Amino acid sequence: MNEKKTFWQHLQAWVNGEEAILHADEYIKKREQPHQKRWIKKPNMQRIKENKGLYWFLCVLVSLVFITIMLLVVSHLPTFGQPINPTNNEVMERYLEKGIEETGAINFVAGMILDYRAFDTFGESNVLFLAVISVLILLKRDKKNINAREDRETEEDERFDRSDHKSILKIGAKYLSPVVILYGIYVVLNGHLSPGGGFSGGSIIGAGLILYAAANGHEAMRRFFTFKTFTLISVGCLLTYCGCKSYSFFTGANHVGYEIPKGIPGNILSSGFILPLNICVGLIVACTMYGFYALFTKGDM
Amino acid sequence: MREIIAAIFIIAGILVFIVALLGIYRLKYVMNRMHAAALGDTMGLGLVTIGLMILGKDVFHVAKYILIVLFFWMSSPIASHMIGKVEMLTNKDYDERVHGK
Repeated sequence: MNEKKTFWQHLQAWVNGEEAILHADEYIKKREQPHQKRWIKKPNMQRIKENKGLYWFLCVLVSLVFITIMLLVVSHLPTFGQPINPTNNEVMERYLEKGIEETGAINFVAGMILDYRAFDTFGESNVLFLAVISVLILLKRDKKNINAREDRETEEDERFDRSDHKSILKIGAKYLSPVVILYGIYVVLNGHLSPGGGFSGGSIIGAGLILYAAANGHEAMRRFFTFKTFTLISVGCLLTYCGCKSYSFFTGANHVGYEIPKGIPGNILSSGFILPLNICVGLIVACTMYGFYALFTKGDM
Repeated sequence: MREIIAAIFIIAGILVFIVALLGIYRLKYVMNRMHAAALGDTMGLGLVTIGLMILGKDVFHVAKYILIVLFFWMSSPIASHMIGKVEMLTNKDYDERVHGK
């Protein structure tokens, strides 16, 4: 076989679909393995254990810095309970007089917590997400958090669950849980028009999910709600919230002057960002409720 | 006149609730307590909602109260059933406690 092919021969071979590289087998044997770059470095536990003292020191230092900042802020606040404080006259009057005009929400509470004080609500949603994550760290059943006795007990429980038909509960949940979830969706979507909103509606949706899971078991729940869905919904909602509110804060603070259309107060599609933010908060709360239930009963989602 | 009839119904319902509450505190065993608690869920709630229905302004008010009662009367027996079942299956002294000896 000719060692060196001409260009024309190469082209012919390529068109006919024959070998593209000479001595392909040898080349595959000899070639170097592509060097895999590891993007996430595994922390070296040995080194962390050796430097334990340094970590203690850093923890105390960070906490002390934060405590000092907080205390300095507190010392600049006006004294609590004075009649001339702005919270006792100006803020309340402003909310009551210009609330509908500025937020577009008939429900004042929704206007306050999702428009004037939206940053505070963002922190609350983050707290809920963090709570589920910490419970997950403590209670998740994986290789390192299991022993033989617990394993046997869960197996017994599962066998008991399967032999138990729970027909009354199943029929009840079949008729009740869709109604409960539907009512929760109504409360979330009507949050800016009537009492309710993200937190209360979300907890109703979570109760509906818990009822369904208690009746039909975790296997039926896992068909549409796994840990992946939980992370996707929670992180997606938090990012949407963050994006919406950063947009309005930046444009508002820099006097860019682009206003989100408020719509007619009283319509379902009105009051700017309050409706999407309500939906985000509701989804996060529903996921949190169901997540707690699933983690405390099964140790898995 | 309407208000007086409504008030009579609501007060009667609240009295039933008080009886149910006393029963829950006085009785010591799960099954007995369930029996007392069911009183409030059925008769107390029914009387209070009848009083509120009389005070209601239009049809939709009344319809909402009917939905509330329907929801409670569907969910409360199921919950009692589950509590009783779990007590029967998990309590080792069940026969001794319920049937005596």
